[in-house]
Amino acid sequence: MWRLNRVRHKAGRQVGSSEEVRLKRREHERALRQARRDRQLVSKRLLLNEDEEQPEVIMDTMSGEQDVVSLLHKLQHSGPERETHLRALSNALRGPSAQLSFIKQENSMHLLVSLLTGSNAQCRLHAVRCLHELSHSPHTNVAPACLPATPYLLTYLSGQSTKFTELCLYTLGNLFPDSDIVKEKLLAQGIIPALASCLENQRHNLSVVEAVGFTLSQLLQAKDAAEKIIPQVLASSLPSQLLSVLTPDPNFGLAPAIECAWCLHYLACSEDNRELLARGALLQCSSLLLSLGDAVAEGKKEEGMELLVCPVLRCVGNLLSLCPVDSLSTQVGDVRLVAAVCVLLQAYPHTQPALARESAWVLNNLTAASSDFCSALLSLNLVPGLIQLLPFSQGINTMVLRVLANIAHKKKKFCVQLAQLGLVSTLCATLKMADQEMVTLSLEVLFLLVLSTQQVADEFVRLGGVSLLEAIQYNSEGEMRRRAAYLLEHHLLTHSSDLTVDNVL
Amino acid sequence: MKPAGKCPTEDSGEPEQRETETPFSFTPQLARLHKDHELFEDGDIHRHMYLQDLYISQEDEPTTSVSEFACHISGCSAVFSALEEYEHHYNSLHRHVCCSCRRSLPSARLLDIHIQEWHDSLFTVLAQRQDMYQCLVEGCGHKFRTSNHRKEHLIKIHKYPPDFRFDKTKKDRGTRETKRPPQKDIAMEEVGDVCESEGVCEVMCDVLSEQPEPGESMETLVEEAAAHLTKAADAGEDAGLSAAVHSQECPNKDTLKPQYSYRVPSTVCFGHGSIRGFRGRRGRRK
Repeated sequence: MWRLNRVRHKAGRQVGSSEEVRLKRREHERALRQARRDRQLVSKRLLLNEDEEQPEVIMDTMSGEQDVVSLLHKLQHSGPERETHLRALSNALRGPSAQLSFIKQENSMHLLVSLLTGSNAQCRLHAVRCLHELSHSPHTNVAPACLPATPYLLTYLSGQSTKFTELCLYTLGNLFPDSDIVKEKLLAQGIIPALASCLENQRHNLSVVEAVGFTLSQLLQAKDAAEKIIPQVLASSLPSQLLSVLTPDPNFGLAPAIECAWCLHYLACSEDNRELLARGALLQCSSLLLSLGDAVAEGKKEEGMELLVCPVLRCVGNLLSLCPVDSLSTQVGDVRLVAAVCVLLQAYPHTQPALARESAWVLNNLTAASSDFCSALLSLNLVPGLIQLLPFSQGINTMVLRVLANIAHKKKKFCVQLAQLGLVSTLCATLKMADQEMVTLSLEVLFLLVLSTQQVADEFVRLGGVSLLEAIQYNSEGEMRRRAAYLLEHHLLTHSSDLTVDNVL
Repeated sequence: MKPAGKCPTEDSGEPEQRETETPFSFTPQLARLHKDHELFEDGDIHRHMYLQDLYISQEDEPTTSVSEFACHISGCSAVFSALEEYEHHYNSLHRHVCCSCRRSLPSARLLDIHIQEWHDSLFTVLAQRQDMYQCLVEGCGHKFRTSNHRKEHLIKIHKYPPDFRFDKTKKDRGTRETKRPPQKDIAMEEVGDVCESEGVCEVMCDVLSEQPEPGESMETLVEEAAAHLTKAADAGEDAGLSAAVHSQECPNKDTLKPQYSYRVPSTVCFGHGSIRGFRGRRGRRK
């Protein structure tokens, strides 16, 4: 069962009616989309305390700020109450204005760091909790204020206390994107090697693995990651580590695999992903995709599975684009991968069209260069399912049609098989679609089919295709007109003169 | 998509018979997508919603959408969600269109009659001497000296309404003709202004099949006119008609008629009203 329950990352409070909630969600989504377009998409995570069911409702008022000031004052004196004050401080620091107030106080960070590194283990834990709350601040000037603590956070990554390590990791992951100064310092302080050795030593500890994955993903999403971060990561042991934890643990759930998969996706997107290929990333991701596809096919679609499917699909898609054709079979392994991708493609067009679209993209990359995969699609009888997807818009049908075109482009034999599966009559429908790319692609596919056998041309004419193409000649798009005209002139009309009136009907 | 593609080679045993110059350009292409690619947007948003703990299982929010169909005729911006709607639209509004006045008629027969009576100067001449106005009801066969006579016949005998939409006289056109803007560069003009005046004929429907006529080769307008003269049908057309043909300029000849000849669709005309008049010579298809 997925760990959504266990690690309650700032559980959403159901304030207001469900309609209000949905509206807020949609607004939030819109904001995220805009942020992505501005290349500013950044998220932070907040670990709740173990005894918390829901985060306490924080009154972000003057009292919070005053609490901070008075608590700081009290913390100056050592004594058994320090723990209590520190704990209270961490609660107070959940409020954004309290956070600002904290960093304004003189020597506040200095004090916190000394508690972080002191001899009292409980105080250390509460201190890191304070830092964690600070790292989650929406104000970007808080992060630089936390810089004095970061060398220690990095050092503690090699420790053994799970909760403590997790808090350090999430804190670092939250701080990293906030400012360039922070990025620079953390990189200089060796965050990448620290993450690598942490992952190596704590592979058995899946909550730590999840935290490392999250933090690394924050690094990899930085705008200048390609120059400064990715080469270093690729040179380290991190890629192999990530690959080795990719298979989700059935007890623990999907979360660690999800984080690691997203890291691999960011790496695979880079210019330099041959490193990944060399380490067997394509093979690993392909076999994971196969098992995910099998799970979906058997009806065992876990909640949140698409969060894992998505990055793995992307890895496979991008790694395929760089994989030399002749080593494709060794790198991918099982040709049945196409079946898995088709299963995923068909599982999601209604609920997650984006995922269906990405699956279709992977199929395109599988079929573009390799005859074997095209042949497999046909022999495994997957094409009818693909044809059924052609009504779906949002980029799904254009990509699927591209896949069919890839198949047709390979061999005349494939064209014949495609025609036998009813593609010609489907094209009669797609040629009428509003999407120009669909129409143009349909004409291309039709051309390939018509070239293969006479029967295709006959069938098309029989289905009323000629008048359809003639109508296209009145389309405002020259690309379509030229193709339609060519087909009519060279392939359809020259032969239709041989038919008698009786045959036509 | 950023093509990083390799062109697969065809089987050596199956040589391509493609000419070197075709308008077709498809080749399979590998596509590598960078992390900010728009294809990835939805997935990224979903991921970040999860990170910010706004994840919900998508089962309750289906967002499927289906491709729409659209009329190809340039200038017609009609869009449909179902294939049948498209077919109906096309058959109703684009099949039988008079190219001179862009009226859409519901059937080929009514279109023929329309062209004859409105745009054929020979008809006007002949109608002074003989009964030329055909009854609109298929199979009736009666002809009348004036359109009013025909209208009376339709009302009295065939129980038509007095304001039957497909029996407008030329005079009824009124200001519509004078307001016509100069012919644009596209063959099929805005269908919008046709829709206002015509409806669907309910009484009779002789929607002919869409099948192209076999055995037709491509001819230019001039040649067709000449051919027509030799195969003059029962209407008694003479050289006067061909004069009418030549005098009407086809404005779109250069823009849409391509350099190589192609079949004039029997059901879609472009820019030249009198072509419709030629249909008579091929005989009615039943």
